[in-house]
Amino acid sequence: MVMSMSWFIPENEFDIFVKNLSKKRRLFVPVKENSIVRFVEFKDGIKPYFEKQATSSAKNTIFPQTETLFRFEYKKDPKDLKKFSVEISETIEAPETVVLGTRPCDARGFLVFDKVFLNPKHPDIYYQNRREKSLFITMTCTDPEPTCFCKAVGSSPADSLGSDILITKVKDGFFVETITEKGEKLLNELNLKDGDAYSKEAEKVKDEANEKLESPFDTKGLSTDILKLFNTNFWEKELAHCLSCGVCTYLCPTCYCFNITDETSDSEGERIRTWDACMFFHFTLEGSGHNPRPTKAERFRNRVGHKFSYFPDRYDGMIACCGCGRCIKSCPASVDIRKVIIDLKEAANESA
Amino acid sequence: MTDREEKISELIKNELNNVDFFIAYGRGYDPIHVKPLFVYEEKDLDDLVMNIFCIHNNASYLKTVKDKKVGIVVKGCDSRAVVQLIQEGLINRDNLRIIGIPCTGVISIKKLKEKMDISRVTEAKVESDSVIIKTSDEEKRFEKDDLLADKCLWCQYPTPVIYDHLVGETIEPSRPKELEYKIVEEMEKEDLNVRFEYWNKELSRCIRCYACRNVCPMCVCQDQCVMESRNPHWISLKSNITEKVMIQLIHAIHLAGRCVSCGECERVCPMDIPIFKIKQKMNQIVEELFDYKAGIDLEATPPLYTFQVEEAKIKEREW
Amino acid sequence: MAEEKKEAKIVGFLCNWCSYGGADTAGVSRFKQPTDLRIIRVPCSGRVDPLFVVKALESGADGVLVSGCHPRDCHYSEGNFYARRRLEVLKRFLPFMGIDPNRFEYTWVSASEGQRWQQVVTKFTEQIHNLGPAPKREEKSDR
Repeated sequence: MVMSMSWFIPENEFDIFVKNLSKKRRLFVPVKENSIVRFVEFKDGIKPYFEKQATSSAKNTIFPQTETLFRFEYKKDPKDLKKFSVEISETIEAPETVVLGTRPCDARGFLVFDKVFLNPKHPDIYYQNRREKSLFITMTCTDPEPTCFCKAVGSSPADSLGSDILITKVKDGFFVETITEKGEKLLNELNLKDGDAYSKEAEKVKDEANEKLESPFDTKGLSTDILKLFNTNFWEKELAHCLSCGVCTYLCPTCYCFNITDETSDSEGERIRTWDACMFFHFTLEGSGHNPRPTKAERFRNRVGHKFSYFPDRYDGMIACCGCGRCIKSCPASVDIRKVIIDLKEAANESA
Repeated sequence: MTDREEKISELIKNELNNVDFFIAYGRGYDPIHVKPLFVYEEKDLDDLVMNIFCIHNNASYLKTVKDKKVGIVVKGCDSRAVVQLIQEGLINRDNLRIIGIPCTGVISIKKLKEKMDISRVTEAKVESDSVIIKTSDEEKRFEKDDLLADKCLWCQYPTPVIYDHLVGETIEPSRPKELEYKIVEEMEKEDLNVRFEYWNKELSRCIRCYACRNVCPMCVCQDQCVMESRNPHWISLKSNITEKVMIQLIHAIHLAGRCVSCGECERVCPMDIPIFKIKQKMNQIVEELFDYKAGIDLEATPPLYTFQVEEAKIKEREW
Repeated sequence: MAEEKKEAKIVGFLCNWCSYGGADTAGVSRFKQPTDLRIIRVPCSGRVDPLFVVKALESGADGVLVSGCHPRDCHYSEGNFYARRRLEVLKRFLPFMGIDPNRFEYTWVSASEGQRWQQVVTKFTEQIHNLGPAPKREEKSDR
């Protein structure tokens, strides 16, 4: 952590700021397409959209839905056609990347990723490379929505944890502060105005934002409550209306599960890593044909259990949910994870 | 509770002994979000609603509960899926109790979202032909027709085509049938290459969540779907546009002559991809060629499960 | 050979009992045929899932031809009747997705119709050459 330094961008200079960010590096911004907002690479003509939380999280910026781990090619020995050799070429792509317009929840999501992919014993080099070269410019969430519950999982609308730079909208423009050294280095390059004069106003905006949200549930004891209900029919009844699709997991800033497959055509192909979702039947389908999570009830139990019990138990109490509410807003069957948690605590109390 | 909700509630109470559970509609997290409500016991009925936001097709769940005795609340459009499933022998009529709801249209949340910020709705109500939405900072009034789901604008089946109990009076269809394929015809005004690029652009947003497939009442293969099969290897797991297009082609082709136009595939899409158009094109072709609409007649055979030696509307290939 | 056109990628699904024989008859009779067609032998045109056609087109084929027994002549008595319905539906559906319907044809050729096979394959190949290579779907970088 460095001493916080601050800058200011007047409202009418923000477009220039965005453009300058995209020079020399890859810049992702939220963009509105039809009725949804998602993070895409910035290029001329693209109009960033910062008003509302993006529909999908920013995880695709450093954890793309498909990434090639390496390519391979089978080559025949011209002297003995029965003999093959395999040529493998590594493909690590990690361009310098800036993500502008994340919300505190998006940025915090990557802290969950870090626990898994940057584990010192076996770091994931693909993720590590990209993570090191990425920088997150987060915007204080002055307008948290009723579906937001970041406070329940230890965050808040002005939380800077996980971000490199925090931007707060004040009356005449944007108050910019550095959170990490990486962030400071970038801002030093950009020749911005000093922001000291606006720091008080920004603090007030942040305080107000933080006060706007309430916490819908308490996570205390949740981990054991989940285990208590593990073998009950709670899940089947509570989640009867779940469609077992991948909307919640694929929009989630903290869901990191993936699949690795070889996609071959003719004599060449690539080994790819793609997003996977615990809500899918195939996620746990074993080679023998046995499936330990054959119905959606077990699968959703896993989703809740993983986020609020198994993950925190394994990684120093860190909850693998950032409270962004995307899974609630976009669920086609209106499954509400807050309600599931409130109901499960009640059910666990009753059974005790 | 409204009168209609009381009646539905009463009927479910009486039927609950005959079934394992009932699928109705329940309160969601705010006034405009409704959820499919699974009623196992009387107290689950506390959450029951029946209003203009009940857009979900409850018949989507029937394929997953085949061996159970199930009660279900359906609108006209939903009931077509029930008929189609029975017709194809995929569910058993004797295991079903059906409460039919005559319906004059349901609201598309996406259309509402285009017109206002819907993140903090506190109240929603209908007054004759207007819908009033209150949020913490404003109150807006809309023409109902401007918010209705596309399928409602050409609805020919406002009254369910199959039911054990009907709650309310039968409603005669009053919407213009000509509108049915309007979204298709609009698209067909464009050149081939424009359409090609249109789908490349729209489908590029697809995240392969399979919500469109899972919600589809007629997608009965579910966990055995070829979209996910590794052997045969129909599509790779990559998220390239080719895969995303292929997914929609598979869905459309497997629904030819079976799609009941409930529009759920498009409603559930988290990336707002207009995939209902694709299904409607397929339905138009089937109607033109075979004079057939899925999910109307229990005794009919889906047109691609049968043939005529002399096809009235297929010209023999000339070369 | 320099003036010869670049070969198109055309996939043909041919029924074992008729068109495949017809193509053989054409060969035995030494009828001149274009060489762009790659033939896949199937037990019946009724075996041809419309997805075969779609998959071929999406995998880069410039054209797909399905050829089976004439209606009423199916080896399995009714396979081609089902095929006719499915393939007609597909043919009408492709243009909606922006795929030129002329890239796909289905037809009937019997085992004795060597000459007819020659005409069919020549005409279809010409048709594909006139259309040129199939448009490629461009990958967006933000996948």
